[in-house]
Parts: sequence; C-alpha cells; structure tokens
Amino acid sequence: MGRLILNRLAASAFSLAFVVVTIFAITAALPGDVADTLLGQSATREATAALRHAMGLDQPAWVRFGRWVWGMLHADPGRSLMTGRPVAELVGPRLYNSLLLAAATAAVSVPVSLVLGLACTMARGTLFDRVVTLLMLGTVSVPVFLIATVAVFVFAVQFHVAPALADINAVHSPLQFIRVFLMPVVALAGATTAQMSRMIRACLIDVFSAPWIEMAVLKGVAPVRIVLFHALPNAIGSVVNAIALSLSSLLGGVVVVETVFNYPGMAGLMVDSVAARDVPVVQCCALIFCVAYLSLTTLADIVAAASTMRGRAH
Amino acid sequence: MPASLQDMSLSRRAALGFGLGGAGILAAGPRAGAQTPDTPRRGGHLRLAGFAGSTADTLDPARMSAVNDFVRGKSFYDGLVALDDTMAPRPGLAERLDTDDFRTWHITLRRDVCFHDGAPLTASDVVYSLNRHKDPAIASHQRIVAMEMRDIRATGPLTVEIGLVGPNVDFPAILGMDNFAIIRDGTKDFSTANGTGPFICTGFQPGIRTTGRRNPEYWGQPAWLETIDLIAISDDMARHDALLSGDVDIIASANPRLVRLLRARRFGIMESPVGTYTDLAIRLDQSPGHSADFVMGMKYLFNREQVRDSVFLGFARIANDHPIPPEDPYFAADLPQRVYDPDRARFHLKRAGLGSGELALFCSPAALASVDIAVLLQYAAQRAAGLDLGIRRMPVDGYWSQYWMRTPMSFGNTNARPSVDMTFALSFFSRATMNESRWRNPRFDALLLQARGERDDAVRRRIYHDMQAMVRDGSGVCIPAFTTSLDAFDPKVRGLRPNRAGQLMGYGFTRWVWLDGGGVSP
Amino acid sequence: MGMSLAGAARRGAAFAARLAPGPRRALALLAFWFVIAIVGPLLAPHAPGEIVDRDVFAGFSARHWLGTDYLGRDLGSRLLWAVRYTVLICTLSTLLSCGFGIMLGIAATAMSVWVERVLGRLMDGLLSIPSLLFALLVIAAAGESVPALILTMGVIYMPGSYRTSRALALRIAQADYVMAALARGEGRIFVILREILPNMTGPLLSDIGLRFVYAVLLLSNLSFLGLGVQPPLVDLGSLVRENVLGMVYGAPAVVVPTIVLALLTVGLNFALDRQRP
Repeated sequence: MGRLILNRLAASAFSLAFVVVTIFAITAALPGDVADTLLGQSATREATAALRHAMGLDQPAWVRFGRWVWGMLHADPGRSLMTGRPVAELVGPRLYNSLLLAAATAAVSVPVSLVLGLACTMARGTLFDRVVTLLMLGTVSVPVFLIATVAVFVFAVQFHVAPALADINAVHSPLQFIRVFLMPVVALAGATTAQMSRMIRACLIDVFSAPWIEMAVLKGVAPVRIVLFHALPNAIGSVVNAIALSLSSLLGGVVVVETVFNYPGMAGLMVDSVAARDVPVVQCCALIFCVAYLSLTTLADIVAAASTMRGRAH
Repeated sequence: MPASLQDMSLSRRAALGFGLGGAGILAAGPRAGAQTPDTPRRGGHLRLAGFAGSTADTLDPARMSAVNDFVRGKSFYDGLVALDDTMAPRPGLAERLDTDDFRTWHITLRRDVCFHDGAPLTASDVVYSLNRHKDPAIASHQRIVAMEMRDIRATGPLTVEIGLVGPNVDFPAILGMDNFAIIRDGTKDFSTANGTGPFICTGFQPGIRTTGRRNPEYWGQPAWLETIDLIAISDDMARHDALLSGDVDIIASANPRLVRLLRARRFGIMESPVGTYTDLAIRLDQSPGHSADFVMGMKYLFNREQVRDSVFLGFARIANDHPIPPEDPYFAADLPQRVYDPDRARFHLKRAGLGSGELALFCSPAALASVDIAVLLQYAAQRAAGLDLGIRRMPVDGYWSQYWMRTPMSFGNTNARPSVDMTFALSFFSRATMNESRWRNPRFDALLLQARGERDDAVRRRIYHDMQAMVRDGSGVCIPAFTTSLDAFDPKVRGLRPNRAGQLMGYGFTRWVWLDGGGVSP
Repeated sequence: MGMSLAGAARRGAAFAARLAPGPRRALALLAFWFVIAIVGPLLAPHAPGEIVDRDVFAGFSARHWLGTDYLGRDLGSRLLWAVRYTVLICTLSTLLSCGFGIMLGIAATAMSVWVERVLGRLMDGLLSIPSLLFALLVIAAAGESVPALILTMGVIYMPGSYRTSRALALRIAQADYVMAALARGEGRIFVILREILPNMTGPLLSDIGLRFVYAVLLLSNLSFLGLGVQPPLVDLGSLVRENVLGMVYGAPAVVVPTIVLALLTVGLNFALDRQRP
C-alpha cells in the first residue's frame, strides 16, 4: 500500500511538471501580453514597451518561468500581473467557492448516480432502464449553457422560486444555502449524474458477465442480493474510478455554470486570467486543477487496491 | 492673444466655454435631479449589474476603461471639472479656471473638501493625480493626452498652474475626463478608493463586486442612495434575468433584442445617444487601401439603414463616415448623406483593379457589433461587386494590440470624446497614435491647431464643418452608425436622464438617482 | 465515379453487416448525417450571411420555414450549413484523436514498461486540464480556424481513446491466440495488425462513436466562449448560442437547432448504448 502511494506520488509529480510546462508554453505563444491588456486601445508600441520594461516583462520567457518555478518551490505563487496583488489572495476565495459548489454537487450527484446505476443494472433491458437511459442521454446531449439559461429564465424569472444569481454573500442559514445553490447544483448535477450513472451501470454489467455471478443466478440468489453483495463489492474499484473521473471536472469544467449564475469560482478566474494574459494566475489555476485531478484519481486507485486486497483476504 | 480677447469683449471667465449663462462655472451647482417632477427620497440600497467585469477591474482612475470602472470612479472620485448632460464643462473640485492665452491655466480649488480618509484636498493632490499619467509604468489610458500638460505645479495650497504645449480652448473638457479624477497625493495602493466622491468604498473585489455607502461629508449635493452594490454579469441573458427576477435594480447595456420583453414587463429603458461608433478602418498606407477608389467603393457598400435596423434594431443613428454625431452642436448637417450604392461601389472597386484573392476583414466582439456589421458588409461586397471578403473574428483579448490598426482592414470602436477637438486630435490628426487609417492631411492638421486656439465660435464652426467633410471623403475610416446605449431599470429607480457623455448618465447615475418607496423621505 | 461510389457503398454495407447491431445502427445514423452534411448546403435557399427579413426571431412561415435568426437571416439555410460544419469538424477531430489514441494505446502494450509509464503520465496530465479551458488557451494561441478547432479537439480526446484502446489491447494480448502467434515466432507488428487490431474493432467502433458525441458537445460548449467557425458560417452549438436570447420569445431560431443537436447526439449515443445487454 505504502509503495503504491509513493509510486503514485512520483508519477503525479511527473504529470504536474508536464502540465506546468505545457501551460507555460501555450501562454507564451498567446498573442499580446498583460501590458497590451492594461493599455487596451491606448497600447501604442512605445507605451507598451515602456510598461513592459517597468513590469519586468521584457525578460526572456524562460527567465520568468524559472523565477515562477523557484517561487512555487518555496510555496509562493507570486503576484498577479494585472492587479499587483498576491496570487494566493486572488485564488484563495475563489478556490473555496469552487470547492463548496463541487462538494454540494457531489453530495447530490454521487448518491443519485449510485442508486440510478444500481437500479438500471437490476432492471436492465426493461422499460425503466430505457427511459432512464434516454433521459440521461438527453441531459448530456443539450449544451449546458442552454439548460442553465432556460432554467434561470423559468425558475427565477417566471416562477420566482430561486434567485437568478448565486450570490454567496447572501448565505447566512442552511435554508438560504439551499436557495442560492439549488439551481447551479441542479444544472451541474444533471450532466454529472448522467455521466456517472451510466459509467456505474457499465461497470456493474461488466461484473455481471463474470462466471461466478452466473453461478449465483443459477443457484437462485435474489437479484437484489446479487447486485448488492456480489456484484457491487467486486465492481468497487471501477465504480470509484468512474466517480473520481466525473468529479474531477467539477473544479475547472464549470465555466458555463459559473458565468450564467455569476458565481465567482476558479474556472471563471482562469478564463479572465487567460484573457488578461495574467500568466502567474493562469499557472496557479492549472496547477490546482491538475492537483485536484491527480489526487482524486490516486484516491480512487488506493480505494480500488484496498478493496481488492480485502477481496483476496476473504 | 490678449488683444483679440479684448476685441471680442469677452471676460476671461466667459471665454472658457463653461457657462452658457455667463459665469456658469462659478454659479452653477450640480443641477441634475432638479428637473424631475417627483421629489427625491433619501436612503435605500441600489444594485447595479454592469456588462464587463473581470480581474482587470480597477479603482485606479488612470486605468479605468470598462463601464463598471467608470461607475466606480464617478461614485468614489471627483474630477476638477464635471461634464453635464450635454458634455459642457461645469465646476468640480476646481472652483475656477483662469487663463489669458489658453496655454497657461490657473486652477483654484474648492475649500473644505476632504478625502474619505479625512485629509483635506490640496494642490499637491492635484499635481500628483495629473502628473502620474505621464509615467509609463502607471499604464494610463490618457497618457497621450496628459503629455499635453507640459508642466503641472502647485502655486499655493489651493492653486495649481498647468502649462500646455500649445493653446487649447477645450482644455476644461480634458480635465472633465473620468480618467483624470483626483486622488490623494502619493496613493499607490488601489485595493480601496480614497477619493472625495459622494460614496465611500466599503468593499472591492475585482471581478466580483464593489460596495459603497453614502459620504455624509460630501462637499456637493449629497447622494440620495444610502448604499450601492455593483456587480458585473457578462452573459447577456443572465444579466437580463437578474433584472427581471428582481435580483438587481438596474443593468447596463441592455440588449436591443430584449427591449420588447423588458417593456412588456414594465421595466424602464433609458436610451443614451452617445457618440460611440463602430468603424471599419482601411489602412491607406497598405494594399488595398492605398487605392482611393477601393476606399470609396467600400464606403458605398455600407447599408447604413440595415446596420441600424438589423444589427441595432433601430437603436442607433446613421452616420456619414465622420465621427461627429448628429446631436453635437458642431455637426455638419448640410453634408450629403452617403448611402448604400452598389453601382457606385462596383464602379470604384473595378477601377481599383484588385486581384481575385480574398481580402481579410478583422473584427472582434471587443469592438461592439463589429462581427455582425462585417457579416452584412461581406454579403454586400459579394453580391454587389463580386468582392471576396473573408471575415476573421478574433477573440476579445489581444484584439486591440494585435489586429486593430495593424491589419489592412480592421474594425474599431471609439467612445465619445468630450470635445470635437479631442475627437479629431486623438483619431484623425496625422501624428495621432490612434489614426486608424494612417490618413495624412496637412491641411486638416493645420485646421485642427487653428480651431484649438480660435475663440470665435462662428469661425470654429466653419473650421469643424470643413474638417468633417475632409474626413468623410478622404480618410480610410468608414463610420456607418452611432450607437444608442441602452440601460434597463426597475421602475422604482427614479431620476435617470440620458447623457451624451455615456450610458448610465455618463456613468455617474449613483450621484443623482433615488429609489421610489425604497427609502425614507428626507 | 458513380461506379466507385456504388462499390464503396457495397463494401461498406458488407462491412456493416459483419458488425454487432449497436455499431451498425450508429454507422447507419452517421451515414445519414453525412448525407445531410454534403447535400444540405446545396439545397439552402439563402446564403448564410444574407439578411432576408427586418423581423428578427420570426416564427415558422411559408417564406422562411424555420423562421429567422437574431439578425433576420433565414434559419433553415443556416441550419443546413451548421450541420455540415459540426459533422465535418467532429468527424475529423475524432479520427485524429482516435487514430493517435489507438496507435499509442496498442504501441504502449507492445513496448517497454517505461515507455508505457511515461505515456500514461503525459495522458494523465492532458486529462487533468479542463477541456474547455484547454481549448480556450490553444485556440487563443493558434487563432480561430477550422484546422485549429479540429486539432485542439483531437488532442483533448486523445487520452481517453488511448486509455480505452490500451485496456482492450492488454486484454486481447493475454488471449491464447495471441500467445500462440507469438510462440509461432511471428513479428510484433504482424501480431498487432493481424491478431490484436481485428479483434478490437467492435468495442473500438463504439468508443469512436462516443468520442464523436463528446466532440459535438465540446464544440457546442466552445460557442459559449465565443469560439467556433468563422462567420458568416456557423456550427450547431454556435447557432444555438447566437440565438439564445430568442428563447424568451420561444423562437424556432433557438428551439430547432437545439433539437437537431440533441437528435444527433442522443441518436448516436442510444444506438451505441443498446448494444450492451
């Protein structure tokens, strides 16, 4: 177990380094820099050159990259070029918001997907299975921005059941929390649940084709029992992996929902920072997304490994 | 110079162009609000959703460029000069402006004005606020304009002297620009605003929200609202949803396509006839723009009615290929209107003798409506003249620095300037850095300098008329329409009036509006 | 030309007949969309950039069957163009991502452990960057064009394809007939081409179909960031996006493209999904 974790950590460090270098290379290739953004229409060659010099942007890219890496090794993500404030100060509150939204979405979508995935497996081939499958496919087939936009117009504007904006400052009680987070969470959970429940169903069905399950069926074990006590424990590895994969996109993959509900999260910050060519902030965001993904998948692997060990012990 | 001043028997003060009523600069207090019939009420909380908000939001007056920046600026800061609804200069922090030759200006500051941190306003604050625009590291949007102020120095605790590089009758209008707002001497940290304005900044999170409360010690007419809350929602539908659902009270930049819905639900729409225009700049120093026939042909390809009706759904005024809007007192009404004329376009384009290749047309959401206008133009060119234009839609970021004015044909977007002089000087003067089409006309340049020092209004009018004609026929800038800015508001927001300087009452609506029923009567 | 086309169709039908019903149905559906993509724009009554009516967001009518869009252009004509671009871009990007993904996936099983590990970490790195943000970055750097879109989406979906094909290849590589072939002394490449690849075809085809659907969805979501085909041309997602305000008036301009988009993705998804027991 310890070796597995160490191995994963070493591998993750490699992936992280790859991501950081890739992101830096792409940002270096972007047309224009933060000096151009700051000056906007008044960006004359002379003015941008002077500003660039004042901001230290006229140094070669690799020098700036090296300085950034050095800072990161000392846990200092540097300062935002756009605002001059420490990156940590900019990212901190946004990361908290994003984690909150992701946690709320996971709290809804994981149990629902598990139940739906199990139910569809048990009832596979029936009308129920087909209807659920069609609904799930329908949910992922329409662009998220349309679902979110229609939802806001219907529920906030026409029926006034929820606010149009997810104003996190308005949350002072659990009830208000539900009111504010209801719509963004539903918009996000829709797609996440669809993806997750289908993957769970696929994993379970895979296990079902195993010979020992067929044996159990022949022996006349009740279907519910088969699913819960025979199939599920053996599918835990892949189910947890499926969940981890779906959840990993909840931090950075939610640009649309953040924008439509005006929710200040990490994805919006990264889009802003790309637009402003605020490279230290872009780097920091990418790094966080990568760490989140790698820790989720590593966690899933560990759970899977643990479950197989337990299975062997039996 | 002083002689001609006496010849025209103008007092020094009246010559400043401040007061239509003589000594207006001294007499007129803030006049807004007085004309509306219902009585303003004090108190209440107002929520605005602006259009663009990002981590680029700023409280530094020099860097302000988005609508919300200017709303923040107008709420927390004051300028030396304030521009009224028709963009005429009125007194701000400057009690008087005096000059003998329009080159050296003496500013006398108002007494007993305090910054939000309690420090009194002094001449050194003004010197610092204006001088910093010249420092390239500040990244001021008005650096070029600020360079006109050769020396800025305090001559007393409340008096400042500004020496210009040349005489400029319109100098007060320059001081009225929002970027020249006055901040405390030595201010370097803009995580909050320390100004003299009618609101005190209580919170500022770039890209998220800004809050403020009424400044009880305000030197001018105090604001009616107790607190303000500014956010930005860039998604069009989401912004309108927030207004429709009652989450905000007023939104900037209402979409013309949703006006029907808003009106049906009894929301107010304020139309501001601002002089903002989206234009196609054809560089005259490159192919294909070095052919005068090509430029003229392109000008005839703009179907201005279609731009107004299909792109702006009627919320625009047709333009005549020059930058002076019809509301401007100096507008040359007698110049014939250029119209969509496929025959003439074909004639000129044929004479330009182009090859068969595709010509790139650069546009971007950064320049308002330019992508839609490009689509109209492309179809017209194909249809009328068999000319192949390839649309290159570019992302907002990087557009101004990489494509605008750097490519043979690119769309630009220019905001209203406070005076005709600045409109011409910043975008059409031969050496102007924003001379979009690289148009060089020595006579135009001479006329500009002549008008700048000319105090006889009739003479200036004649000069400006000729300059409009010269731009219309000679420059490579095609201007199809002036936009009408739309803001939408809940009917309980009262006291809004259109302003030529910009939307939301020239961005200063928080100073004048009140909430009906929301607050308590004074 | 006609002869060779007919021949290709016959060969295609023969190939399809050998497949499982899931991929077969999906292939038939894809063929249908291909026909629309090729023929559709030829039937469009108006140019994609032509303003045909002062009225924006107009409803169904005899003159403009599917109404008009936010500028007063003919929606039906634009829709036909949109199908072409969505199908074109997504097909090419899927071929790109799956082509490389499958190649690397199989190669990884045949090569040393180290190559496989490094490849796996690189793919993990790519997977960890949110796809929409990655596309935003790359397209901002490379410029907005059809090739850039295809390339970006190809890179984004390559890791997924790599994972699937590697898993499949690993499973097959342990099968008896592969062992037997290796024992016979056959070359690695020969084994891959003759033994492993043919036995992966069925599952791989459904994976390719799924990636096509993902590509369609990613392309539509890209329109939210203002990215897509250069105007006046359009893809399905951008068509929905540019007319989204018409939603409040119930305009066909937003409803119809959404339905077409859903038909394209749900149809394929469903066809592929049904193959499982």
